[in-house]
Amino acid sequence: MTALNGILKDRVLLIFLTSLVLTVFVPDLFGSYWAIVALNLMMWVSLTQSWTLFSGMTGYISLGHVVFYGIGAYVVASTFKVLPLWVSIPLGGVVAGVLALLVAIPVLRVRGPYFVILTFGLAELVKYIVLNVETSIGKSSRLLFGAPTIETLLYIMIGLAVIATLMTKLVSQSRFGRGLSAIRDDEITAETVGVPVVKYKITAFTLSAVIPGMVGGVIALKSTYFEVLQVFNPVISFTVVTMAIIGGSGDVRGPFMGAAFLLLLSELFWATIPQIYMILVGLFLIVFVVFAPNGIAAILWPARSRDSQ
Amino acid sequence: MDLLLSPQLLFSALVLGSTYALVALGLNLVYGTMRLLNIAHGDLIMVGAYAAFWFFTLSGLSPIIGLPLIALICAGLGLILYFAIFRHQLENVHPVERIEANSLLLFFAVSVIVQNVVALSFSGSPRAYRHLDEVYHLLGVSMTANRIAALVVAVTLLSAVVLFLNRSHYGLSISALIQNKTAAKIVGINVSKIQILSFTIGFAIAGVAGALISMTEQISPFMGFPFTIVAFVVIILGGLGNIKGGIAAGLLLGFVEIYVVVLTSANFRSILIYGLFVGVLLLRPQGLFGKTRAS
Repeated sequence: MTALNGILKDRVLLIFLTSLVLTVFVPDLFGSYWAIVALNLMMWVSLTQSWTLFSGMTGYISLGHVVFYGIGAYVVASTFKVLPLWVSIPLGGVVAGVLALLVAIPVLRVRGPYFVILTFGLAELVKYIVLNVETSIGKSSRLLFGAPTIETLLYIMIGLAVIATLMTKLVSQSRFGRGLSAIRDDEITAETVGVPVVKYKITAFTLSAVIPGMVGGVIALKSTYFEVLQVFNPVISFTVVTMAIIGGSGDVRGPFMGAAFLLLLSELFWATIPQIYMILVGLFLIVFVVFAPNGIAAILWPARSRDSQ
Repeated sequence: MDLLLSPQLLFSALVLGSTYALVALGLNLVYGTMRLLNIAHGDLIMVGAYAAFWFFTLSGLSPIIGLPLIALICAGLGLILYFAIFRHQLENVHPVERIEANSLLLFFAVSVIVQNVVALSFSGSPRAYRHLDEVYHLLGVSMTANRIAALVVAVTLLSAVVLFLNRSHYGLSISALIQNKTAAKIVGINVSKIQILSFTIGFAIAGVAGALISMTEQISPFMGFPFTIVAFVVIILGGLGNIKGGIAAGLLLGFVEIYVVVLTSANFRSILIYGLFVGVLLLRPQGLFGKTRAS
């Protein structure tokens, strides 16, 4: 309860959440093109925010977060018109969480580079398994006719972005979150002083998978079709990591800044010369890793970021 | 059973396996000596393949003759990247886990930049050229000359690198650095010089591998990623930083892939590669041939 009180007193967070919620007016004010842009922004904010909950706090870089997004999309697509959406979208989150819990136990035994490439390899393994299952039952892609409108999906996505932000904030201010930071600083020391390292890591990993599972479901509805190679595309994992690094993961506003920055770049260049967009993303990533490892948030709000580091 | 024992299959497995071993060797050198996770490795292979393609198309220079030139181009790219980005990381970033994490992000950026610069310059469409594609028959095996050439070059280069690491002064320094950086420093090895050397050798080998691959496969700016994956699978199988283990694992993977695909179907290739990858990481993170070593 004290954590919740802290949140209510946190002006920065309240202003931030309010501005997220204000996105609901985008379709009415700016039309459907910007509604899609807003939906994409909220999607990346939700994904990146969830990613920082585990990887930002523990320092374990997950390169496979797309697997949770993909599995959520798969749940929604394969139960479309069978289950109502208010059941299937949360179910996507639950399935993603269960998958995370199942893989966390073996995966989190390994550290450093092994962990990074293992998460990546697992995501690809799941992708090819789903692909083979779909091919063997004769469904190379699924069309989702009669999905909700972009506006409805945008409202759901804003909800997910707010929940993801609150969740990350709540965790970072709790005893649990401090335990996770201790793991990042020095796992052996953390264990010695009594942090339940294994339990914390597994819990954080599982929590960080739930929102991406639901986001994947919503995005499948947005594109009105489901194609395995698209929803399990590793580029999504890489984009999330890039957004978290450029935005900074020590401040709840960081993932938002990172997502907004990359989306702005993509709005400017993607339609004309996509290669230029990609080259710029690469250059910015290098600049941030070398010169500003704590991201845009730490540049804009230095004191605060240092507190939560 | 006849199929499994056919010399044709054996030949294919040897060619694939030696290519995999070569593809992984460069990555292993860079990781082993510097702990840099080069996920742009496949893109260097792509650069080598494009260099071979352009040399051949513009001047008719055979990739086999042009190998030193192609290796030089990739080595030059390596030198530029080393001095522009990675020297700073190696000298100023601590602890080593931080370097690993940063290098992954930096090489990801390098990968994206290299792919898109090539796509922007030469378009994203696949290309191919015909060179040494006459077929020879030997002991009941039909093989194209370019596959024989690829096999011969790969085996020669692999042996040369092993000899270099075991016999020459620089090679021994590289081996020492792979085994223990602190100890290598104490016995008077010039660590930064050896790091530059292994960085450029690693890049050059990737370029050569790319040139060989370009003779038999289509090339495109985005062809590199599957090779990055194969390279990681191989060096994980062989044990990160274990050079000879990596070569053995490359050959092994080539054989396993060819025989599994023949026995089941090509659809299972990816499941096999990633299944092996995940399985080994979980069960034997030190690699199939590795001794237990603190990671």
